[in-house]
Amino acid sequence: MSDATGAPRPWNLVAELTYRCPLRCAYCSNPLDWARVDEGLDAATWGRAFGEAAELGVVHVGLTGGEPSARRDLEPIVAAAAAAGLYPHLVTAGVPLTAERLARLRDLGLRSVQLSIQDVDEEAGAAVAGGRFHDRKLALARAVRTLGLPLTLNVVLHRANLARVGEIVALARALDADKLELANVQLHGFALPNRAALLPTRAAIDAAAELVAEARERAARPEILFVLPDWWSDRPKPCMGGWARKTLVVAPDGLVLPCHAARGLPGLAFHRYPEHDLRACWLEAPGMQAFRGEAWMREPCRTCPERAHDFGGCRCQAFALAGDAAEADPACALAPRHERVLAARRDAEAGAVAPLALRSADA
Amino acid sequence: MSPEELERRLRAVGAERYHDKHPFHLRMHEGRLAPEEIRLWVRNRYYYQTRIPVKDGLILAKSEDAAFRREWVGRIHDHDGRAPGEGGLELWLALADAVGLDRRRVEDLSGVLPGVRAACDDYVRLVESNDLLASVASSLTELFAGDIMRTRIEAFERHYPWVDTAGLRYFRSRTVQAPKDARFGLAFVLANATSPDDQARCIAALERKCEILWRLLDAVEAAGRKPRLSPHAALRTDAPDGGRPDAAALVVLPERAVRLNASGAEILALCDGARSAASIAETLRDRHPDVAHVEPDVHAFLEQMERLGVLESLR
Repeated sequence: MSDATGAPRPWNLVAELTYRCPLRCAYCSNPLDWARVDEGLDAATWGRAFGEAAELGVVHVGLTGGEPSARRDLEPIVAAAAAAGLYPHLVTAGVPLTAERLARLRDLGLRSVQLSIQDVDEEAGAAVAGGRFHDRKLALARAVRTLGLPLTLNVVLHRANLARVGEIVALARALDADKLELANVQLHGFALPNRAALLPTRAAIDAAAELVAEARERAARPEILFVLPDWWSDRPKPCMGGWARKTLVVAPDGLVLPCHAARGLPGLAFHRYPEHDLRACWLEAPGMQAFRGEAWMREPCRTCPERAHDFGGCRCQAFALAGDAAEADPACALAPRHERVLAARRDAEAGAVAPLALRSADA
Repeated sequence: MSPEELERRLRAVGAERYHDKHPFHLRMHEGRLAPEEIRLWVRNRYYYQTRIPVKDGLILAKSEDAAFRREWVGRIHDHDGRAPGEGGLELWLALADAVGLDRRRVEDLSGVLPGVRAACDDYVRLVESNDLLASVASSLTELFAGDIMRTRIEAFERHYPWVDTAGLRYFRSRTVQAPKDARFGLAFVLANATSPDDQARCIAALERKCEILWRLLDAVEAAGRKPRLSPHAALRTDAPDGGRPDAAALVVLPERAVRLNASGAEILALCDGARSAASIAETLRDRHPDVAHVEPDVHAFLEQMERLGVLESLR
């Protein structure tokens, strides 16, 4: 996907409005040093960024965080996204957002909502999120549908909740969700030290996959997104649809990244908005160029026929598990460091039970 | 069970599942179908009519009994006639004329809906994969056909005066043929299905056949739905190509964008919530007379767009 000059067109802007969040999920994918990231962009600056994004070809904007509703100026930010001709989508944990505020946001141009839920019951959800939010989340889910907005429920699947996939589907159906995104826990960020407690066994994943297949058979709604986790499938995921290829992420401090986790990769220089305009941040920043296309690839990716589909997998996972972001993603069975993933699988099968370390501000 | 009990059970299948109770037939018989819906049904049901002599040929080939074959071959004669221009298929085409269809477009099957084709092909497969006894049992929907034909003739005369009554000759012919055929088929099944296993297979085959007839009408009825752009979809035609010269429009949805080529954009432009899927398909066929498979392609496209959430449909 590129224009006449060969530059890729970004389709999707992930606007990380803040890293603050009332939840403390043990698998949070925000930067470990999130508390030290300056929340520098005001609503007017976000508005300018949306306009520049639309000019680059962006159609979707995901307003996320952290928890985007932790910002008091979410209203003008939503209005600016709609005014720029983008399709504003709110990615929320459901607190501190209220139904009244959501109605205002809809009237200002919000088009759709993704709500995260940790589990089907309050107790289990609280163990992962560090607080009791379940009932407020359910109330917000109902408000989303009452307001006529499309609802995606997002549930991160891990060792402790995987056995409840059937109940999760039933909850999504009861809430009249349009989509249910069952996201298998990823092996980086705050999740990495918790991996023994989070990684499920192969048998548990297969059982969940079967339940999902049955649920899809039974009803068209909700649409269920469920992908076998990469570290069990021997194939790397096409992370972000390719590095700096379809999606750009703007962090709360204006740093423009190819994915929400790329900030943690050493040696990559990214541009900051509005010091550089968004086009320069997207096209010219050395960090964006570092893994764009295929020139950076080593063997076995360089000559692999799969590279057009998986783009070499996830750079952050390569760094986290192989110590080098330019390595083949260890999730791939062909990767030199695949052993790291096999070790994680053995840990998962061994059933190590470890206490969860929740997200904190002083990692 | 006794032959009497088996007959009672077979008739109960019809009482419960025969397509005279299908909402589309109810609307037909109450005079509530639009001319376009009548035409859609005539055109699609024609494909079912073409499958009848094919499945009867298959049944014929399963029998070792000359007397059975002499009787059964009469069904093929009824449908195909003994000379060109005769028989039930020809009468169905006369119905097509009477409702204002171009019979060439009926005969070439170009407007057969994917769901109708699948249901009718399943009937042939059902006969193919069963033995003689269960195949004959699957034809016993004829037990219930005489009544529906009489209801239909009355409904057409009363509610659809725009249809020339000459077009109703097929229905009239069936009020005589169906009961005669059913008597023979029923006697055969009652005489030969004596073990509990065979009796159960006969009941199951008749149930399957009822399901097939029902699905046929489901598909016809679904083609009457009126698609329109989802309220959650934003249609953009401003610079939507992203370097892809084939893209003519972009539909933006929650967490998804669908690129459309010129054909897709043309179809979508007709989805206004007032036109039915069938009439959209017909409009496009008329616009593109040189393109093959326009109608099935349009129906497949509409279904795909509904699955993706681009379109929603009103009844």
